[in-house]
Formats: sequence, structure tokens, C-alpha cells
Amino acid sequence: MRNRLQLAALSLAAASLAVGVAACGSSSKSSTSSSSVTAKIPLKPGENPSSEKLTGGKKGGTLTAFTSIDFAHLDPGESYYTLDYEVVMSTQRPLLTFAPNSSGKIVPDLATAVPTTSNGGITDGGKTVTVHIQKGVRFSPPVNREVTSADVAYAIERAANPNVANPYFSTYLGSASFTPVVGAAKANGGPIAGITTPDKWTIVFHMTKPGAATLVPALTLPISSPLPKEFVAPLDKHSPTTFGTTFLVGTGPYMVKADKTGKIAGIGYQVGKSLTLVRNPNWSASTYTSAYRPPAYLNQINVAIGGDPTVEGLQVLKGSHDVQIDGTPRSDLKLAYDSYPSQLTDTVGTGDFYAALDTAHGVFKNVNLRRALWAATNRQADVTTAGGPLAGLPMTHFIYPGNLGFAQAGGIAGPPFDFNKNVHGNMKVACKYMKLAGFPNCKYTGNQTVQIVGASETPFPEWTQIIDTAATSLGFHTHVTEPSQSVMYTKYCGTPKQEIDICPAVGWIRDFPDPLSILVAPFYGPSIVSTNNSNWPQANIPAVNAAMRKAALVVNPTARAQAWATVDKMLVSQAVAVPEVFSNQPLVQSKNVAGVNDQWNQGLWDFAYTSLK
Amino acid sequence: MITYIIRRVLWGIAMLFLVSLLTFLIFYVFPSADPAILRAGRNASPANIAYIRHELGLDKPIYIQFFRYIKAIVLHFNFGYSFYSGASVLSLIKDRLPATLSLTAGAVVLWVLAGVPVGIISAIKRRTVLDRAAMGGALFFVSMPVYWLGLVVLFLFASDIGKFGIFPGANTYVGLTVNPGKWFTSLILPWFTLAATQAAIYSRLLRGSLIETMGEDYVRTARAKGLPERRVIWRHGVRSAITPVITVLGLDIGALLGGAVLTEIVFGIPGIGRLNFSAIQSTDIPIVQGTTLLAAMFIVVFNIIVDISYAYLDPRVRYS
Repeated sequence: MRNRLQLAALSLAAASLAVGVAACGSSSKSSTSSSSVTAKIPLKPGENPSSEKLTGGKKGGTLTAFTSIDFAHLDPGESYYTLDYEVVMSTQRPLLTFAPNSSGKIVPDLATAVPTTSNGGITDGGKTVTVHIQKGVRFSPPVNREVTSADVAYAIERAANPNVANPYFSTYLGSASFTPVVGAAKANGGPIAGITTPDKWTIVFHMTKPGAATLVPALTLPISSPLPKEFVAPLDKHSPTTFGTTFLVGTGPYMVKADKTGKIAGIGYQVGKSLTLVRNPNWSASTYTSAYRPPAYLNQINVAIGGDPTVEGLQVLKGSHDVQIDGTPRSDLKLAYDSYPSQLTDTVGTGDFYAALDTAHGVFKNVNLRRALWAATNRQADVTTAGGPLAGLPMTHFIYPGNLGFAQAGGIAGPPFDFNKNVHGNMKVACKYMKLAGFPNCKYTGNQTVQIVGASETPFPEWTQIIDTAATSLGFHTHVTEPSQSVMYTKYCGTPKQEIDICPAVGWIRDFPDPLSILVAPFYGPSIVSTNNSNWPQANIPAVNAAMRKAALVVNPTARAQAWATVDKMLVSQAVAVPEVFSNQPLVQSKNVAGVNDQWNQGLWDFAYTSLK
Repeated sequence: MITYIIRRVLWGIAMLFLVSLLTFLIFYVFPSADPAILRAGRNASPANIAYIRHELGLDKPIYIQFFRYIKAIVLHFNFGYSFYSGASVLSLIKDRLPATLSLTAGAVVLWVLAGVPVGIISAIKRRTVLDRAAMGGALFFVSMPVYWLGLVVLFLFASDIGKFGIFPGANTYVGLTVNPGKWFTSLILPWFTLAATQAAIYSRLLRGSLIETMGEDYVRTARAKGLPERRVIWRHGVRSAITPVITVLGLDIGALLGGAVLTEIVFGIPGIGRLNFSAIQSTDIPIVQGTTLLAAMFIVVFNIIVDISYAYLDPRVRYS
């Protein structure tokens, strides 16, 4: 589960967005009545990543890419951020992956097939998942040997090592999971009883409850990429591990340029300066059974790290460089939309942003005050300040477009609560809930000051102002603090004892297209922790918690979608946060590039499918 | 003189100690965010955070933490490791310093070569068209923020995105030892951008100082003695008037070696400033501390150099 930390250069925050583009759009007016997302985005021909060609690209050449922010982790055991996935998914082979320009179609990667009940991959009523892996897959130099299922088991087990501290392990496999793998709750890096390898090509996961519906999509995470214990274990003795920072090996079509010992530091990766991907000489396309066998057209990818994204966006549009991978500033997006439409792509449904309300302390313990604030907030203004239709749509509930349960929860219009209906804000409805909260004049007359902590990066100050305006219009006295995004999370909004009433710039990106990975961490009561907390509203509503536990065990996709949609509606009913934006990810490429976007990964470029013209 | 230098160096060391204490207090005692949480990463469990806290020694008393911090710097010149990449801060600084040195050195040469003559001519030709044009130009450049000027220069002259593509633009920097020719051409626009504003400031500063100096009694005496005007200006005027300029120059060089943040970002130069900027963005405390100390060290060192140079430049200044 990924929150938005360090994504300032991605999606909304990152790109500073396309403010101004809204004015160019043919349909800048937003409607919440349609169930079609794409129909509301003023895309021109070529801008929709779904139509990109996956085959027939030109082989060879070097792609030059820009990112204004550095990668956080190249180790598949540690990687967490969208930008890291750009490299990790090119250098590693998890058991499963996604079709590149789909938002959530799961296909086999290292595995021979996606486990299902019909192919015998899911048995024991959903408590056991069996995965067979490809033969002939070899690690990159200097390891060179063939991959076995024990390498997959080791990679997953090391994730619980405190020196690796994988951000997903406990959520999907360990103590925080609704359906933990047997023995994983107390894992610390050693063997896990519930993960067995009956032969060199088979790995079996035994869960305490029927959790196949969660585990199978979780096998798309980098954590399931095999790693050679003999190479990695010595590096994991450092705190933190030096695998991924100093040394790296993998199984993907590309590898970070390294010396003969596998060292990347100062060679293929210079912190804050550059990263060079070259072909993995041990990779073979024949080790895929999937129809989605990556063509790996490019010979090399040179990523320049740092610099001014505005200048870099222009360099890409004019053709001196090929792609920007961490978002494009609004001025360049406007230029691209006006003058280079074939070089602009816009991926829909890349996450959401909302203003978390502290449901455990202060004034917003009162559900009607929360509903009043929701009703009073102009969510269309959030979208406009973010960049208009290219940047997203007004958010109306918590499962965002492209995910299971989105349509069942109401689609774009969202659940039909009166406080949710008008995205421009409705003071009459707000007044109704102020009265229900005990304020007959529709104005808050208590003596508590509402603490608002928003991030200082664009466009968050504008969003802070929007929610502040709504709060003050209801009579609240507010105090606004605007630290950097990382400080906002770590010091304020992620620390429950700070009792921040409104965190207006938090958001969520799924790990896979299942609502569990969108709703549990931010809204499940038992997930609240004293530090690094991601349940920013501190929502701990027994009925919601119970509904989540129940939904997590539903295996049938239709029933599962309905179950999570019910959870979503309950969260809306409780107004645990004021929704802001269903976000999109616009990016630019040079005219020399046939780019393919990973729609499942925020629409960033897929190096294994992108080619030069 | 030797005593003076020793005294200044000792004061410099004391100053650096104070700066290290302040940066330590700012980042660890009054933290903007818990360093253990930052180091542990997102979604880290409380147990992992506690483990990291122990590993970093953050569970020890503050004075022990500071002692360890200073000991690592003094004995091993170890500034710690990046929270995110795990890279040694010292290695990062060493890696970035050449780019910042290149940028600073070229820009300083440019702005001194431009700013000093313009300042002298303006002072000597006071209230003439030449003076007014020079000071008008100086005001023009002083008024332009470096970031904005950098973008304008790129949009006009960069070979890839400029209207009149003449010079290599952003993200073209290569090291001096890699390719001297490309190194030089890649820095022409950044040098000009950084020097333009500074040259304007220096010319105005020197003009004011020289006008005041030229009105001094000893200058009148020099003229009365029949010395040639050129000699009066250079030996009696400029030599004295330039001391405040030298003071500012020393501070500016010191500060720029700590990172010309905006110029490095606009032109994509991987220097200390950009390192610091990205570290601030991600709250990578060890890097921010390291670059802050480095900047302080450069300022202290150049201050000492400036103080010493006074003795040679201004005959009125004597040290004992």
C-alpha cells in the first residue's frame, strides 16, 4: 500500500500539474453524472495510453530519460514508490505482473500461469496457492546461475529482515494481513513455515485463512522477484542492506550497469545524478509463456537525475531528450496539449487525494460536522488548481477509477448522499448537517481551533486554502501549518498524538487493482499505529472494520467488488475524509519515441516495451 | 602576522564547532521529523523503527549522540550516510564538489572581470552617460532573479530549446577531466547567468566605495603632489576602495562553494547545491547536515583568506 510520500514529483503533486490545461480542454466543466471516466477528459488522438502499440517497435538505441527526484530503493525487497518500480520492474521478474498498458490485467512473469482454482493454483478453499515458475531463467552477472523456487522463497522471507524492512510484507503476508501466511506473523528474515518449495520449480503458500484473492494479486509486487541468497545475504547484514544501493543483481530484461562483482554504486548508479540500464546478457524472451513477452527493444536507458523539470519537459518536447518519468510541469503540459498532442499521454485512475479528518479527537469526532465540511468543500476547485481534467476529476468516494468495486460504489458520481452530490460545494446541505450537529445558525460556535496541516508543495497549498475556506465558512477558527510533504506525514499527519484535525493533502495509490489495497491501511481501525501511521483519519469504526474483514475473505470477483463497494459507501457515510481528486498522470515524450505507459504503475513509461522510432 | 593567522584559524575552528552543534540540535534535538522514521521508510513497523533508532544511536542521551557525531567527523571525517541511498555523505560531497568548483570559479572570474572595470569607470566618469548606462545596466541585472535569468538564457541561447541555439543548454555538463572542451562549453551559459547578477552588484559596490575614497584627503594630497591621475586612481583609490569588495567576494565564494542551488538546478549541474536541494526535499538529514557544515567551512576559510589579504591590499590595515 502506497501513500503519496515522495510522490511530489509524480501525479498531482509531482508534476505541479497542468494548471492552465483546464482552460484548454474542450470539456473543462466537470460532470458527476456519467459513469465513463475517459469521456470527461479532453484527450486528443494519441494521448490515451490504452491505444499504444506493444509490438512492432524498432530494436536498439539508447533512451534518454529525466527524473527530477532520485530513486529511493532499487532493491525489490525494499522498493515502495512508483518511481522505483520504473527500474525494479525492468530489472526483476516477480512471479506475476501486469499487462503494460492495462490498468490491472494480471499476467504471468516468472510464473508459468496465474494461479486460479480452475488450473489448480488455488486449492484448499483459497487457503493454499501454488505457483510454478519458468525453467531456464538466470540471474544477471556475476551470479549467472539458474533461478529456482527457493530463490523466490528466500526473496520473500528476507523481506521481514529488519535491515530490509519491506513495506508490504506485514500488510499482505504477515501480522497485519487478514489472511497471513502460516508463520509469517513472527518472521524476521528466516524461513517461513507457510512457504514451501516441493521442487525446484514450484512454490506453495499456505495461509491461515482463505486469502488467495489477496495473495495472488500481491504476487505482482517486487517482493516476489527471486534473489540469490549467496549474493544477497551478506549484504543484508548491513543496516540498512547495501543490496540495491551498492550491489544489485536481477532477472529482468535490463540490469543496472555494474562491474564484474555486481557493484552498481558509482558505475551504473550515481546517487542523485544518473542511472544507466543496460541489457541483462542472461535474459531470454523464451523464458516467458505469457502472450505479454516483453520485447525489450532498447539497448540502453540513460536516466539523468535532478535538474529543473520545467526545462527538462521542454527538452523532451523539442526532442533533445526522450522522456520524463516523474511527471511533467504544468507549463510544459499546456504546451504539449496545445502544440504537441501526439507527445502527451494521460493515464486515468492513478490514485486519489483527500483531506483526512481526525475522527478520534477534536471537533470532527462529530460525524455531522464532518459531513457539513464535506458538503461545503468545493472539490471542483481542487481539480482546477491541480490542472483541470487532464489532472483528474472531483473525487466522490474512496475506491478510485480502474479498480474493482469502483462502479459498484457509484462510479464517478459516487454514493448518493446529499453531502456528496455537488462537487462545487453546497452550503444549504452543509447547513443541514451543522444543525444536526447542534449548531442551529449553521455556524460553529464552539471554542476549539481547527488545526490544519497541509504540504507546501504545489498544488497542496491551494487545496489547504480550499478546505480552510470551507471550514471558516462554517464558522470554524483555523490554524494552518504547511511543512514539506515528508514532514507533514512523519511529524504531523502520521503521528496520531499530534491530533491534527485536517490533513488536506494525503492520498493513496493502490498496490494492485483490489480495493483491499486501497481501503485497509488508510481506514481500518486496527491498522492505526503510534508513528508512521497511514490511517490518517484514525478511523476505527467497528461496523466498517467488520465489513472489511468480511470482504477480505470473499473470493468471487463480483461478490468481492460488491463487498468492498459496501465498505466504501460506509466510509463515505461516515465522512472520514473530504475527498478531493481522482488523479490522472499526464506525461510527455519526444517525437522520436514510441512510448508505452504502465497504466498499472501510475502511467509511467515501461522500458521493456518502449522503443525509439 | 603569524599570530593573527593562528588566532583566526582557531576562531574558525570554534565557529565550525558551533555550527556543527547548531546543525545537530536543529536536526536531531528539535527535529522536523523523527530521523528513525525517516530512515526506516514508509509502512515500517514500530519494531523496525525501534531497531533503526537503536542502530542510529538515537536511543542514547543527546550529549553522547553529539559526541559520537563530532568524533566521527573529527577522527574519521565521516559525515554519516544518506537515509535513503545509504551512500556516504562524504563520498557524495566529493563527487559533487568538482561541478560546484567549476561553476563557481568560472563565474567569479567573469563577474570580477566585468564588475570591477565597470565600477571603476562609473566612479571616475561619474554622472556621465557612460556612468548612467553602466549603472542602469547593473540595476537591470541586479533586478533579475538568478532562476528566472537562467530560464531566459536557456530559452534564448540553448542549442536544444533556445530561440537562437548557440551554446549547450541544460543537462549537458561533463567533468573537466572527461572532456575539457565540452566542460567549457557546457558551463558558458551557467557562468554568464551566475556572473551577471553578481557583476552588477560588484560594480555598484565598487563605484560607491571608490567615489567615497576619491574624496579622501590622502587622494587630494596625492594629486597635489603631482602624481599622474592613473596612479592616483589605482594606487590610492582602487587599492583602498576595493577592500569592501574583497570582503564580499570572500563571503560570496564561500557561499557559492556551498552550492549555487538555483543555477545548478536550472542548468542540471550535479553540484553541491543540487545535492542539498534534493536532500532538503526528502528530509535526508545527514546530507543536509554535511552540506551545511561544508558551506560553513568554506565561508570560514574564505573569511580568513580575506582578512589576511587586507594587510596586503590596504596599507592602513596592520595586524599585530
